[in-house]
Amino acid sequence: MLSKSATQRKAFWKSVLFVLPGVAITVIFAIYPVINTFWLSLNDWNGVGGSAVTWVGLANYVKTLTSSKFWNSMLNALYFMIGGFVVLMPIAFGMALLVTSKMKGTKFFKASYLMPVMLGTTAVGLMWKFMLNSDFGVLAQFLNAIGMGDSVINWLATPTVNIWCIVLVNEWMYAGYNMLIFAAGIVAIPDEIHDAALLDGCTGMSKIIHIVFPLCKNMFMVFSVLCVTGCLKAFDIVWSMTGGGPMDTSATPAILLYTQGFQYKLMGRSAAIGMILLVLGLVLSLLLNNVIFKQEDM
Amino acid sequence: MNKYTVARGIKAGAQYFIAVFLAVVTFFPLIVTFICSLKTNDEILLGMFSLPEVWKWSNYPRAIEVASALKSIFNSLVVAVATLAVTIVVAMPAAYVLARKSYKYLNGIYLLFMTGVMVPVHCTVVSISKIASGWGTKNSYIFLVLVYTAFNLSQAIFLFTNYIRGIDRGLDEAAKIDGCGDVRLLGTILVPVCKPIIATEAILVFIYGYSELIFSLILITDSSKYTVSRAMLNFTANYTTEYGPEFAFVILSMVPMLIIYLILHEQVEAGMLAGAVKG
Repeated sequence: MLSKSATQRKAFWKSVLFVLPGVAITVIFAIYPVINTFWLSLNDWNGVGGSAVTWVGLANYVKTLTSSKFWNSMLNALYFMIGGFVVLMPIAFGMALLVTSKMKGTKFFKASYLMPVMLGTTAVGLMWKFMLNSDFGVLAQFLNAIGMGDSVINWLATPTVNIWCIVLVNEWMYAGYNMLIFAAGIVAIPDEIHDAALLDGCTGMSKIIHIVFPLCKNMFMVFSVLCVTGCLKAFDIVWSMTGGGPMDTSATPAILLYTQGFQYKLMGRSAAIGMILLVLGLVLSLLLNNVIFKQEDM
Repeated sequence: MNKYTVARGIKAGAQYFIAVFLAVVTFFPLIVTFICSLKTNDEILLGMFSLPEVWKWSNYPRAIEVASALKSIFNSLVVAVATLAVTIVVAMPAAYVLARKSYKYLNGIYLLFMTGVMVPVHCTVVSISKIASGWGTKNSYIFLVLVYTAFNLSQAIFLFTNYIRGIDRGLDEAAKIDGCGDVRLLGTILVPVCKPIIATEAILVFIYGYSELIFSLILITDSSKYTVSRAMLNFTANYTTEYGPEFAFVILSMVPMLIIYLILHEQVEAGMLAGAVKG
């Protein structure tokens, strides 16, 4: 009896040993930093190791929420979201319809459309930054060639235009990725349903609207969650194309968080933006999940 | 030919046209960038969209020499491979215990990892930079790899746990009767069975590790340790008069990923899908 409980105890501690490294890494590098960020957001600190950390209460939140830069960055995040639903979703869904259709070469097209996601965001950003250069970029050259040279402006330096350029480059990069999500949904539709639709004379557009859309509902939900939470996280693509400039006009909240903290050395302000992003992300995902569950109840 | 087949022909043609058009839009920037990487500065300034008179391959050695392009690509490859190795070695035992044991405390552990999935990277950058300063671990790849691991671990554990739960327990029982302990059971029986999901996760982590930007901006200040994203940004910001080598660097940075994609594109597709719909 004694030996059995001893082996049981041994097995228990072995299991602890198995999960311990994972728990340690998650707690030290993900959970603790969030708690620490919350604490820092209530303080002023210039980021230098030995310098004073002074308690300021909610001042960082007040300053952030009353700054026009912050709201402009939120507006830019909103553009990312609008672009996601208006540009990215239709293109990705169209791509998914193409690569799941019976035409030849779908494998090649699927692999091609997905390719940009592999290139690395910074490389993609720099590539398009050159393409959009108003002196020698491809777009400027094209517009000059067709006699529309007047409409050549410094796109990436013009407020609102610059963020939309970035949004569109982002859609270029992620269209194939989201295509995969929709294609998985379309492929999962059972053959019998296709056959039944055919018997009822339901083909083409009406089939897409009445059969494919409703049955891919889950995939639209996955897309929505990724799009809404993703728009708050946009950093790499903006950083590599404009660095958030000029004058923070193309900054997203994540860019602002970086520049406030690591360029202006306002760590408390940066932490406050981080906490706002965390709460906003959680609220938005909960909200989306609720909407989904409510619809399923109906 | 009746009306129906004509209509179908038009539809198929339109479909092809759109498919090819989208592929052209996808490849066009890459091709232009590649061509520009072989041009002189003057040729580029005249406009990106033209062929060079002489193919200037020397832009590539120039990028390698001035911007340490190869060194930074190597740095990123090392970091990416280390991250995927640590992620898998740490996640696999945890996933095994979560999937196969039924101790009460494991519910809490599972919840902890699921919370880990929810933590946005940006919410932690200030604190992680503070930790790195405190520990004196700026410019340490080990620290960087552990940070990268933390943000991939929860997803890895989630995918692995679900996969192991789907494996017949009979396999475990048979191994135990043969006198296999937990470690051998995991190492010699379950890991081989889990190969597909391990490959999936490995690819996801590799892509993340190779091109990650924000932590490498914050944690790496020594230019000889720059990752590829960082070195590229630095090069394009500092040497604005040498466009050819800049294009060459962008192309070079993509080569490792494109090679992997050419060989493993089906696994990449599977991996990206698993990563996207995990929630």
